[in-house]
Amino acid sequence: MQPTRCLLKRSVWKGPHIVPLPIVRPEPGKRVAPIRTQARSATILPNFVGLKFQVHNGKVYHDVTITEEMVGHKLGEFSPTRKTFMWNKS
Amino acid sequence: MPVSIFGAAFHEQKLVKKALESFYALGPQTSARILAKYCIHPRAKIGTLPPKTVTALTAELSTMTIESDAKKILHDNIKRLRDMGTYRGRRHAMNLPVRGQRTRNQIETARKLNKVERRG
Repeated sequence: MQPTRCLLKRSVWKGPHIVPLPIVRPEPGKRVAPIRTQARSATILPNFVGLKFQVHNGKVYHDVTITEEMVGHKLGEFSPTRKTFMWNKS
Repeated sequence: MPVSIFGAAFHEQKLVKKALESFYALGPQTSARILAKYCIHPRAKIGTLPPKTVTALTAELSTMTIESDAKKILHDNIKRLRDMGTYRGRRHAMNLPVRGQRTRNQIETARKLNKVERRG
């Protein structure tokens, strides 16, 4: 395994793929609605931690709560797009 | 008489380089580097090593992350993906290709290897 593996994903000068999302800081004691988005390619930034997202998978929106270890991944990784094939369902 | 390096017994006629590469997570590059460090010829056999070098090799290997340590890192990485609920973790758990390969046919390798507790 090369130590630079994670750097090879994307050019450093580009930085992470940042998508403008309607993020509101939750005020204490107030519940905020989850952020509904279709931007599956948006990189999860450190300031997303603890927020709730609803990520589109092409059909429905999946609830995703961002934890600390998800930083650096994309939103779409947590919203599966394929349905497992089952004979008895059809 | 077999020679023991890092708990594994090797035949005298085995190449030192190949013997080192038989440990998990120790490849050609690292083994060549170890041979150079201890001034061993690349095609030297195990039987020609003096006992002092054998103990030095064992001491060197015990400081490296090989065998079960390296496997644990691998398993932890896959388990982290699985626990997060990522697509890659799910594909590992389903024994299917992880990086977008087609699955109509020719997925024997993924069927064999891709697991949360991956073998190789």
